[in-house]
Amino acid sequence: MANGWAPFIGLIVLAVFCAVVWFAAPKGENQTVWRSTLVLSAVAMYIMWAITLLAQLHPLISPIRAHLRPEHETPR
Amino acid sequence: MAPPKDTMFRSADMSLTQLYIANEIGREVVSALGELGVMDFRDLNSETTAFQRTFTQEIRRLDNVERQLRYFRSQMEKADIPMRSIYDFNNPFTSPSASEIDRVADDSQDLENKISSLNESYETLKKREVELTEWRWVLREAGGFFDRARGQTEEIRQSVDDDDAPLLQDVEQHGQGEADRSLSVMNIGFVAGVIPRERIAAFERILWRTLRGNLYMNQSEIPEPIINPVDNEEVNKNVFIIFAHGKEIIAKIRKISESLGADLYSVDENSELRRDQIREVNTRLNDLSSVLGNTKRALDAELTVIGRNLAAWMVLVKKEKATYQTLNKFSYDHQRKTLIAEAWAPTNSLGLIKSTLRDVNDRAGLSVPTIVNQIKTTKTPPTYFKTNRFTLAFQTIVDAYGTIKYREINPALPAIVTFPFLFAVMFGDFGHGVILLLAALAMIYYEKKLQRSKLDELFSMIFYGRYIVFMMGIFSMYTGLLYCDVFSKEIPLFKSMWVWDDGKEPGSGPGPTSHRVEGYTYPFGLDWRWHDTENDLLFSNSYKMKLSILLGWCHMTFSLMWSLVNALYFKTPVDIWGNFVPGMIFFQSIFGYLSFTIVYKWCIDWAARGQNPPSLLNMLIYMFLQPGTLENPDEPLYKGQAAVQVILLLMALVCVPVLLFLKPFYLRYEHNKARALGYRGIGETQRVSALDDDDDEGRTLNGNGARESFGDDEDGVAMITEDIGHGEEHEEFEFSEIMIHQVIHTIEFCLNCVSHTASYLRLWALSLAHQRLSIVLWEMTMVNAFGQTGIKGAIIMVVVFYGWFMMTVAVLCVMEGTSAMLHSLRLHWVEAMSKHFMGDGVNFEPFSFKSLLEEEPVE
Repeated sequence: MANGWAPFIGLIVLAVFCAVVWFAAPKGENQTVWRSTLVLSAVAMYIMWAITLLAQLHPLISPIRAHLRPEHETPR
Repeated sequence: MAPPKDTMFRSADMSLTQLYIANEIGREVVSALGELGVMDFRDLNSETTAFQRTFTQEIRRLDNVERQLRYFRSQMEKADIPMRSIYDFNNPFTSPSASEIDRVADDSQDLENKISSLNESYETLKKREVELTEWRWVLREAGGFFDRARGQTEEIRQSVDDDDAPLLQDVEQHGQGEADRSLSVMNIGFVAGVIPRERIAAFERILWRTLRGNLYMNQSEIPEPIINPVDNEEVNKNVFIIFAHGKEIIAKIRKISESLGADLYSVDENSELRRDQIREVNTRLNDLSSVLGNTKRALDAELTVIGRNLAAWMVLVKKEKATYQTLNKFSYDHQRKTLIAEAWAPTNSLGLIKSTLRDVNDRAGLSVPTIVNQIKTTKTPPTYFKTNRFTLAFQTIVDAYGTIKYREINPALPAIVTFPFLFAVMFGDFGHGVILLLAALAMIYYEKKLQRSKLDELFSMIFYGRYIVFMMGIFSMYTGLLYCDVFSKEIPLFKSMWVWDDGKEPGSGPGPTSHRVEGYTYPFGLDWRWHDTENDLLFSNSYKMKLSILLGWCHMTFSLMWSLVNALYFKTPVDIWGNFVPGMIFFQSIFGYLSFTIVYKWCIDWAARGQNPPSLLNMLIYMFLQPGTLENPDEPLYKGQAAVQVILLLMALVCVPVLLFLKPFYLRYEHNKARALGYRGIGETQRVSALDDDDDEGRTLNGNGARESFGDDEDGVAMITEDIGHGEEHEEFEFSEIMIHQVIHTIEFCLNCVSHTASYLRLWALSLAHQRLSIVLWEMTMVNAFGQTGIKGAIIMVVVFYGWFMMTVAVLCVMEGTSAMLHSLRLHWVEAMSKHFMGDGVNFEPFSFKSLLEEEPVE
């Protein structure tokens, strides 16, 4: 799985979405509000998703189980 | 050529218009404009007092009508008659005509007279009724007194006759007492009446002292309270009767009792006559109560009729009064019999204004048209954003910080997203987000109903921001998914990237550790396997801290870009080269670089390289303290790291003097060039000429209010050109002032780059706190309840669940939500808006009936 590429694929999806929103936003006096709100939301959501993904791309630590029953506890 | 459409991005394009209105239709025109609500009239008579203005008479008259209407309202409240709500009228917002107003004024005058006379007679009757009731009580109680008193006449007489009579004498004489001996024969008089119960003690004491005990007093309580007709208060009263000897003493008693607020009533000592009196009082009371009932019914009927129209009248009068108050701002040209008004209006609404004025003219059948002039001016136009239900609350957030400068970028537009989003970063929990969203949806669904009902302060605030809550809910659900938290539990959407070690795989022993699924990264959000692990805090701490630095960097860069857009729009290149560019380079070379290294470090597979990743925090510290050397020279983040960091640091340092000196020196250069060419500021030249003129003249010309005496200007022609000579834009060029300003700006900017980046760490702190708190709540309530079984367990489960849910809503949603909201507010006001916000605008306050009625609603 080409995980490293996922943010870039996401970026393309984002760009397509923004373009669609830009042209599909309802006409009228609220067009600006529609465009800015939807585009900014998409960008903000994308940024946070990408950051979360990147943070786990090459994690330096791995989870250690808690709340094990005593018989499964092994000395570490 | 139509002006560009007004959007929320910049405030609406405004123009200063002058209206010439024929005197006859002044009222109609203003009232029609009030319905439109797009014109902000300037006060052209600011130097005249309220009493000197043209339409003071009309306003007084309307004040009087308003007072009468308020009187009706208070009477209706007293009589518990409901008023027809303003929302029940088909169209409460129609413009009133002059005859309608006159009719309302006349009607309310008549009605006031009628109601006040009805009220008066009602009150007199009520008073009479109270008197009669009191009298009846006195008569009834007095009978008992007399009977008791008669038995004791002998004693009284003896004690009066001779003081030295033996004490036992009365026992001997007892049998022969003349039972029917009347009191008057013995010259014993009496006073009977009613007195409030709390005064009785004082009354007795005073009587005893003044008469030295020469009296015989009897009293009894009236069991039911007497109602005072004036203020409708209940008073407990006592009936008293006092016997005493001698006319003077009786007169004294009368005086004392009257001064203490007692009401005296005549009572006959003859029991026959007394009975007649009682009978008479009873018949009179009956008559009175029937009359009273009739009066009350008439009054109620009158008030009910008024109540049907009162709300509409109130609206009508309020509108009319506002119309005249606006007319008072106009100046009147006596020669041409026209009213002259000046108003700011959105350029886009001018067409609408003109057609409205034409309509009014046609309706009045007037040949003289109303003229609308656009004037060029150097005055700052007011800032006006057309908002709707959705954008209003966001605009209010920004306006609360400061009034946006005319045509400046409106920070409210991006805030529609960034404000709830930053909130959600701190409030990330899918479940809590759902609660917020549902609450917001409910408020939006019942919008109309809630708008009309009276809400308490806290709830009305939440209701005002219902669309903000709506956005917050959506984004909180999203961030909750990313954080993988729903009420503190995990959301296993996809296959985890971690597998627990069970000892079967080669190279790993059995135990609590885990290993990664090769080449697979959890595609959306945090891996749910981190939940309930020993080291989840270790991981989420580092993740959320970096997340908040990166988001802060994005937000600040985004905000800084707006200052470029502003400078381009206002055509001030010096702001680009003197402020934006050096500022941006300074910010990016330090914190942009930090953000880059964070992402870079994530992207490198350090384990595959067999290298220990360097600490970014230490890297930043070393970058400043020992430029050119690394903490660990053998293990750099990338090749040539030291050199890059030195270059970046130098770039940042070079930017500081540019930021400091470029703008002020450029401005001085411009100023000197202009002066060399012979241009001078208007204020300057006048100061020079003021030396020749007398002082007074010079001051008026020099001051900013050169336009003040407009209203007195008899010459109409001069008015068109009035707007020249408005000196408020021409500020004196003072180099030192600009320099100081820029020094402050530079220091502030550089320090703020550091402190603001650190300030975004609140995103990390609050989101961690929120998550921890919800985990603790879950463990302290629900986990314990799961431990129970059987019927008892079921009952405990239900109780605990409700407790948990209440706590979730109250503590996690309301309290935590408020705190996250405030932090997000601060991030916008301080961290983001300081990067580009100019402020110092003037608010647009149009004359509008709609907003008038919103401010002072007619209930």
